[in-house]
Amino acid sequence: MARYLLTRAWHSALTLLMSTVVVFFGVRALPGDPALALAGEDRSPEALEAIRHHYGLDQPLPIQFAQYVGRVAQGDFGVSIRTGIPVSSMLTTALPVTVELSLLAILLAAALGVGAGVLAAVRRGRPAEWLANGLALVGLSVPHFWLGLLAILYLSVAAGLFPASGFVPLLQDPVGNLHHIVLPAVILGTGLAAIIMRQTRSAMLEALSSDHVRTAKAKGLRPRAVITRHALRNSLIVVVTIVGLQLGGLISGAVVTEQIFGLPGFGKMTIDAVFQRDYPVIQAVVLLTATAYIVINFLVDLLYSVIDPRIRVTGEPA
Amino acid sequence: MSKDEGGATSGDNQAAGQDNFGTPADPAAVKKGGKLVIALSAEPDALDPTLSRSLYSRYVFQAICQKLYDVNEQAQVVPQLATALPTVSGDGKTVTIPLRQGARFADGTPFDSAAVKATLQRHLTNARSARKSELGPIDTVDTPDANSVVIHLKQPFAPLVGALADRAGMIMSPKALQTLGDNFASAPVCVGPFKFAKRVPQNSIDVVRDPNFYDATKVNLDAISWHILSDASIRAANLRSGDAQVADSISTQDYGALRGDSSLSVLQSQSLGYQGLTFNIGNVDGVGTTPKPINRPIAQNAKVRQAFEYALDRKALVQAVFNGLNAPACSPISPASPFSSEEAQACPQHDPAKAKQLLSEAGVQTPYPVAMLISNTPDSLRLAQALQAMVKDGGFDLKINPVEYSSLLDEQDRGNFELLQLGWSGRIDPDANITNFVGTGGSQNVSGYSNPQLDAALTQARQSNDLEERKKLYGQAVTILQQDDALIYLYRQRNLTAVSKKIQGLQVFPDGVIRAAFAGFTK
Repeated sequence: MARYLLTRAWHSALTLLMSTVVVFFGVRALPGDPALALAGEDRSPEALEAIRHHYGLDQPLPIQFAQYVGRVAQGDFGVSIRTGIPVSSMLTTALPVTVELSLLAILLAAALGVGAGVLAAVRRGRPAEWLANGLALVGLSVPHFWLGLLAILYLSVAAGLFPASGFVPLLQDPVGNLHHIVLPAVILGTGLAAIIMRQTRSAMLEALSSDHVRTAKAKGLRPRAVITRHALRNSLIVVVTIVGLQLGGLISGAVVTEQIFGLPGFGKMTIDAVFQRDYPVIQAVVLLTATAYIVINFLVDLLYSVIDPRIRVTGEPA
Repeated sequence: MSKDEGGATSGDNQAAGQDNFGTPADPAAVKKGGKLVIALSAEPDALDPTLSRSLYSRYVFQAICQKLYDVNEQAQVVPQLATALPTVSGDGKTVTIPLRQGARFADGTPFDSAAVKATLQRHLTNARSARKSELGPIDTVDTPDANSVVIHLKQPFAPLVGALADRAGMIMSPKALQTLGDNFASAPVCVGPFKFAKRVPQNSIDVVRDPNFYDATKVNLDAISWHILSDASIRAANLRSGDAQVADSISTQDYGALRGDSSLSVLQSQSLGYQGLTFNIGNVDGVGTTPKPINRPIAQNAKVRQAFEYALDRKALVQAVFNGLNAPACSPISPASPFSSEEAQACPQHDPAKAKQLLSEAGVQTPYPVAMLISNTPDSLRLAQALQAMVKDGGFDLKINPVEYSSLLDEQDRGNFELLQLGWSGRIDPDANITNFVGTGGSQNVSGYSNPQLDAALTQARQSNDLEERKKLYGQAVTILQQDDALIYLYRQRNLTAVSKKIQGLQVFPDGVIRAAFAGFTK
């Protein structure tokens, strides 16, 4: 186990370093200049030079990179070129929003997807399956931004059920927070729910026709126990993998959802930073996203062994 | 065009294109208290009058940082923290400004001449200052007493007052400057009806009523919150759902629907800026470098550029693309400006036959290909397509190269374009709308254009304090600009602001800034 963890940690560090290099140089290869974007209308050669100097953009790239890595190693992400606010403080504000939005979206998607998937498998060939399949198709094919706009139009503007935009921190006002975030979370979760539903359904169908389920039925277990304890538990391996893999999609989906609902999360921050060529913010966001991916993948691997003890984290056969 | 006109006629009886700046609140009709939410189309940058470079920061500053001078509905400069317009000495080099007495900053410290001096000196000496060039050739600043400040100039500089009616004239608390230094934007302290409360980056800026304000009794609202919502339709949706009471930069596409909503009204004013088409006629090594010849007829021969202008039908363009809400423009001087004259508003009429004739005189083959760099926003793309169809009749084959805004700025400064479409939001003094863009070596002269005659007229105009003389000189400048056609002025944007009828007293003047500080909720 210890050796496994060490190897994982080493691989993770390498991945992080690689992504830092790619983003650092990649973002600077883009056309556009943060000094120009910042100078806006009031730009003069002196002003541009002063901005570049202030943010160290006039240094050779390798030196900028070395300085950046040095600062990040000490936990300093620099200052936003656009707003002059420390990036770490921007991250502290934005991170909880995206984490809450994503977690809520996953919970909703998993509850809805697993429920509908099991139902579709158990009621195979009946209206319940058709309905679940139809909804999944809609969830998969309709883009987030469109659903979001429709939701704002009908649920916020026309019905007045939810606020059209904005955010209240959870600790400040839990009820208000939920009121603001439920709609975006549902919209964000739709695609994922559809995928989970499809995967659960096919895994359940396979499990339901397997030998151990037949044995369980033959032993006279109640159908509910057969479905939940014998078929569903095996099927969940697939679901966990899918949720893990789809988290990436969820993060990119969050970019769009946050933009539409005006949520001050990572996604909105990323879009604004890219348009403004706000290098320190883009770098920090990518670094944190990469870290999140690594952690999630690791957790998914650990979860496998919890769900199915036949799988050992060492990767060696039991 | 009947379809397009329809969008602007619904709602109350105000016609499209007619200014509606809003009216001051009737004290008997508004109640005290409440929080106003304004949906803002872009995030303000640093809330520091010295460093701020974005238009949107001016919206927030309007509530928290008063200026020595302000702008009124007629685009005239009026006193705000100053008590009268400045007195200028005979040689134009000494400018004396009388200051308001008894005003206090939000931190309770007194507003006086020392504060004005400290602010101006910070504008002039801070390495990243965006104000330095606007303030012109300031030599020294004197404070003969607490209530007046004397600015000594190296040369006469008429645009100074206009600059003091913008961010350069916002006076910062010396105490806050001392404690916060370069971090002033984290907690800006000025004289204003409201004071800074909180900023959530990318999301919102909150201000609350300032009890220290000298006119605090006239302030109705408890707080104002700007929510940043970059999508125009989302801003409109927030307005309709009641989550926001004001939305700026309404799209001309949404105008009809919002005007048709009985719970809303739309304020509109013509901007002091312009949208235009710039030809690259000498920007080879980047903006600010010595122009070099470009071996293309459109760069070398003014007749080809004039032909392009004759091929344009500005009126049809604004009608087709912007529902007739934006106004055709042929010069950098807005008709709303006191510096406008007949010459300044002269306009070459749409004449495709003349365009073809000029092209044949220039000896070029038609259709003459031109590549245009343009921002990739939906409005810009619609404009580009309309232009493309229009100039075809005049003998041009227009190719559209859409790029994202940051790249566009980069390409234009490097000189990597043949023709580009961009605009300028406009300033109160004409000098700030012209010299930088078409004056030789101007910091934003991306065309690489240079004409000594024009430079002479512009220099003379900025050194004169006589309105009539300046008017005449700007008229001459426009005539020269239209002969050379390095920059073809296209249209002037309309500032469209949608406001809930629950709010009274919100105003938008020709400078485009939303004035919300003295608004209030209807009783």
